[in-house]
Amino acid sequence: MTGTYATVVTVVALLLAGWALICTALNRRPTLLLFAAGVLLEALLLVFAVGGVVQMAGSDLHFARAEFVGYLLGCLAIPPLAFYWARGEKSRSGMVVIALAFLIIPVMVLRVQQVWAGSVG
Amino acid sequence: MADHGVVDPGAQHWPTPTGQGFGRVLVAVYGIFALAATSRSAVQIATELYKAPLAYLLSAFAALVYIVATVSLARGDMTSRRLATVAITIELVGVLIVGAASEWFASVFQHPTVWTGFGSGYGFVPLVLPFVGLWWLRHTR
Repeated sequence: MTGTYATVVTVVALLLAGWALICTALNRRPTLLLFAAGVLLEALLLVFAVGGVVQMAGSDLHFARAEFVGYLLGCLAIPPLAFYWARGEKSRSGMVVIALAFLIIPVMVLRVQQVWAGSVG
Repeated sequence: MADHGVVDPGAQHWPTPTGQGFGRVLVAVYGIFALAATSRSAVQIATELYKAPLAYLLSAFAALVYIVATVSLARGDMTSRRLATVAITIELVGVLIVGAASEWFASVFQHPTVWTGFGSGYGFVPLVLPFVGLWWLRHTR
């Protein structure tokens, strides 16, 4: 859970957040390309969640398992909710919502790792 | 959205929806806190409520307040506006009281909630958020 894959997810999310923030600054509306990038991140998160649950099932470490799965599922819920909530917004606020969603993903990944390491009760 | 330029003289004044423009961002931030507080308190209560019942029940209460604020700000009709005002006022009072209490009676608050230390564990966003929320409700009235 603390391996290269988590880093990849974090970097991709941060890159997308940067993209969305630049679009916010330039007052651009969400495009199909940004949406496709969001779908890519969602696919990465899905693999992260499945991998996490498989790894958890095969481990006898003592940690907060319900919380671990909760955070993995929370990660998965964020991008779709953000795109859904940002749709149809006329101002640049829609893009801010999407940027926020991308920014929160690294925090969620970090929390997943902390729970895995047992430091969060 | 109401067109303030060409209003029918007989028409009622409709407030700006609270879930559009800047409101989208505000609802998103409230949503993040609703999600964070709910997941945290659900697990705390399910697994170790006996350890710190006050803190964990407070977490659950905060989660409920954030959920109500998120949904009512997103809906934005007249009833929802009132509900949002009540929820955000409770949120403001909650973060101030719990923040102050956690400073003075630290022993009771060893297990953190979102509002402990005026939300210091969450970059003080929980302290700023209710002020922004109440401002937004006034601004869009």
